[in-house]
Amino acid sequence: MATDTSATSQSPQPTGRLEQSNPDYDPNIVIEAQNLTKVYRDFWGRQKVRALNALDLEVRKGEIFGLLGPNGSGKSTTIKLLLGLLFPTGGRAIVLGKNATDVAKNERVGYLPEESYLYKFLNAEETLDFYGRLFDIPAKIRKERVQELIQLVGLEKAKRRQLREYSKGMTRRIGLAQALINDPELILLDEPTSGLDPLGTRDMKDMILKLRDQGKTIVMCSHLLADVEDVCDRIAILFQGDLKEMGRVDSLLKVSGETQIKAENLPESAHEEIRQIIAKHGGKNIVVDNPRTTLEDLFLNIVRESEQRPGMRPTSTTGGDADSATPPADPSN
Amino acid sequence: MYVESFPDFSEWFLPGLLLFLAVLVSGAILGLFFGYLVAAFRHGPFEAFYVVAQVVAEAVPDFMKTSPRRVVALARLAIKEAMRRRVVLVTFVIFALMVLFGSWFMGGGTEKPEQIYVNFVLWGTQMLVLLMGLLLSAFSLPDDIKNKTIYTVVTKPVRSTEIVLGRMLGFATVGTLLLVLMGLISYFFVWRSLDHSHQIAGDWKTKAVAASQGLAAFTAVDTEAGKSTITGKRVSENALFEATTTVDNDHSHRLEIISDVREADQPALDSDDIIRTIKRDDGRVEYHRVMCLPVGNHTHAVTVTGEGDDAQITLGQSVGYFRARVPIYSSELTFYNREGEANKKGTNVGKESKRRGYVDGGSARKRSTLSRATFSFENVRESRFPDLDFVPIDLTLGVYRSYKGDIEKRVIAGLQFESIPDKPDVDNKFISEIIEFETKEFAVQTLPVPKKIVGRIVAPDGSLVEEGAYDLFDDFAGDNQKLMVVLSCRDINQYIGVGRSDAYLRGKDQAYWWNFLKGYIGIWCQLMIMIALGVALSTFLGSPLVMLSAVAVMIVGFNSEFIRKLAEVDAQGNLINEQGGGPIESFVRVVTQQNMMVDLDTGFFDTIIEKLDYLLVSMLKMLTYLAPNFGDLNFSNYLVHGYAVDNSRLLVAIAVTIAFVFGLTLLGYFCLKTREIAK
Repeated sequence: MATDTSATSQSPQPTGRLEQSNPDYDPNIVIEAQNLTKVYRDFWGRQKVRALNALDLEVRKGEIFGLLGPNGSGKSTTIKLLLGLLFPTGGRAIVLGKNATDVAKNERVGYLPEESYLYKFLNAEETLDFYGRLFDIPAKIRKERVQELIQLVGLEKAKRRQLREYSKGMTRRIGLAQALINDPELILLDEPTSGLDPLGTRDMKDMILKLRDQGKTIVMCSHLLADVEDVCDRIAILFQGDLKEMGRVDSLLKVSGETQIKAENLPESAHEEIRQIIAKHGGKNIVVDNPRTTLEDLFLNIVRESEQRPGMRPTSTTGGDADSATPPADPSN
Repeated sequence: MYVESFPDFSEWFLPGLLLFLAVLVSGAILGLFFGYLVAAFRHGPFEAFYVVAQVVAEAVPDFMKTSPRRVVALARLAIKEAMRRRVVLVTFVIFALMVLFGSWFMGGGTEKPEQIYVNFVLWGTQMLVLLMGLLLSAFSLPDDIKNKTIYTVVTKPVRSTEIVLGRMLGFATVGTLLLVLMGLISYFFVWRSLDHSHQIAGDWKTKAVAASQGLAAFTAVDTEAGKSTITGKRVSENALFEATTTVDNDHSHRLEIISDVREADQPALDSDDIIRTIKRDDGRVEYHRVMCLPVGNHTHAVTVTGEGDDAQITLGQSVGYFRARVPIYSSELTFYNREGEANKKGTNVGKESKRRGYVDGGSARKRSTLSRATFSFENVRESRFPDLDFVPIDLTLGVYRSYKGDIEKRVIAGLQFESIPDKPDVDNKFISEIIEFETKEFAVQTLPVPKKIVGRIVAPDGSLVEEGAYDLFDDFAGDNQKLMVVLSCRDINQYIGVGRSDAYLRGKDQAYWWNFLKGYIGIWCQLMIMIALGVALSTFLGSPLVMLSAVAVMIVGFNSEFIRKLAEVDAQGNLINEQGGGPIESFVRVVTQQNMMVDLDTGFFDTIIEKLDYLLVSMLKMLTYLAPNFGDLNFSNYLVHGYAVDNSRLLVAIAVTIAFVFGLTLLGYFCLKTREIAK
């Protein structure tokens, strides 16, 4: 088993797998994965796929964390391991200070699955009521909460219709509503915008940002780069089960070798002056600015490189402060 | 109907509980071992130890913290799902069709149509409900896992116990409601189908309604020979006239007018069935009463308005179809041979002796009074018996004739009553005269034993103390409420066969609806086990495999008595009940073309074959203890034959059900807990 974890700056604490509670539990760290590995086996125990390889991950309170990767890169496996839907082959995952397989952690977790796997014979109200009951929420509060959430996701007009009649967008909305029924601290979103039209995607992203502003921690995985770029504070890029890159989105996308200057109402003469200054310094461009690469470029770059040199990336290529120690943006900003 | 076991709940409970605990402990050990093997395979032998320990350690809080509210929420979901799947609806529609059209194919050619009807509804309900329970429980959880709808459930604070219990509770609720509905419809259906009345037929051949409903519709019987002019068969005592009724519900009754003579000083008879009253010169009064003779178990009440030829005879609705006879079985049956030696099996008359022991009638040379069968009854007190001036004793006797005998007469048996003193060497004993009666083979015959019986009191040394008529309850049963009934054969060289369930005192009948309900409780118990089994298996198997395994368990469960019999061995360790040996021996016989009757050559190979057969059959026998014995939970035989299901049997069934549901819940919990929900 490849356990080379040197790609990330933090070395994992050597802890027993079966340890229930973390003695140095930091309430600011919502998710902690150490050396998390998942190998799928067939009936006879033979290895089929190594879906996740020694992942080390830390998600802090109040941030939006994006898991990015092509299909089959281990994003969903990571989320399922964090939820206890799968058992790790090696390593461990601590969620909200508890082992990922501990049912009790679910009290404070909300989960929107990839497809909205909901009971199609229930209507919106019944669905939310059912999930509310699973949280042991008293009847009165449950009723209020159900109406509140239906309003939040904008399904007032369709709340009495069975889910089988719902469009994809409506299903995603009710899916999100059920993930929020318990007012969770941590929300795990598996492909939150998949199958949504641009308008729906915008709505979903706005809702995610709104939730972050309420102080909730959000982990989402997606292969839609634009979504991740728009909303995530930090991202991790996975490819074939390996962690390829992790850090703040703004620093990961900053191209430090180039400068870009952008100005308004600058007279033509000034242009010449600037060009001269640049020429004096041996520069060639007239745009004075830090240009941003698109996430798409970064992503494709990593994928191409990984295909040439499989395994973990030894150093980070773009972001200077990958997995930065700086605290996430203050939600109130 | 032949009853083989007489469970007493208080006696059954402790051994039953011990067996249950033994199965539970061995199941736990097996489960731990198997769990460790799987874990060692995945995590290595050392790590596996911790994994198993963790699963066990988490089980306790999982059960303790199980929230009833969440269980109910999941049960509600299961109910909605069951309704949505339309399995319940389809089951009900099939049942409705059965009930609507079933009566077209039933009822003809039998004197006891109630047995066919009751059997039909019970069997139909049982099969439909069990199949429905299996379908619901086998598909629910696997479908949830396949559709991944379970993801949104298990990522809530829901424990595996709650998922398993919620499913069971939900389907149990649906099943119970459906069963109640089916039970009510069945009750109404059986009652409506059998309820009927008749009118008097004018001519016994045409069976058309008679022009006159009075005395004129009757013809005289052959009083000399005591035979019917219609059928040529024996008529009742004192019968004067006879008639037949119209054919309704595939049968007609014979009506008889019986002369009932009362002494002058007796009060006038006041009955609805008197058609004519004749005052005799000697002051005695002769009443002519109309009697409706029973067909099978039912008859009709007769109401006569008016007198003589102008009388109007009305037959009431059928009575007697729905009975719940309460048999009071003896606690012990002992046989005595000609020499007066006691044994448990009676005289062996060959293959007939299998379930009955035979009482020897003695030979002409040695007329034996010692040969007899004694039944000891306990708790014989008047309050348990019907409010009549006699105590009914039901007998189902087998007769073995060593010679043809008098063809016109049946074999004569004798009944005698004795008290069972607590201190036989001090207390006096009541012994009655022998009451002789003709045996009726292949039928339940009811002997009305008068409450006052002529007999004697005998001192411990055998000397006579007193003779007279004594009370069956106050004197014979006495304070210790024990009574001995002695059956003997009064015909020389003939034998009478009897088993413990063949002779019983008839207690007060139970309310039929209550007995009917008990029959449905039996089906309900089976349903609960079926649902629990389906849910437990579906935590680790796919739907087709769940169906297959559950049906296999059902087949073993319904035939467990038979399978256990297969494994019975004699003193030498040879299988008793198998001609041609067990599976391997049979195979060898097929291959080597040997018949079943000849023993295999005794040699080394044959010993191995026999031992292997014994091992295989014993394993099969052990398997039957893991499958629920559905025979113990099935009361339809009692209902069909009109016997009350005794409460001990009901309690045993409920206890067995609780034990299975508990065990299966544990199995389901551990399987769900240790499996990965996601793929």
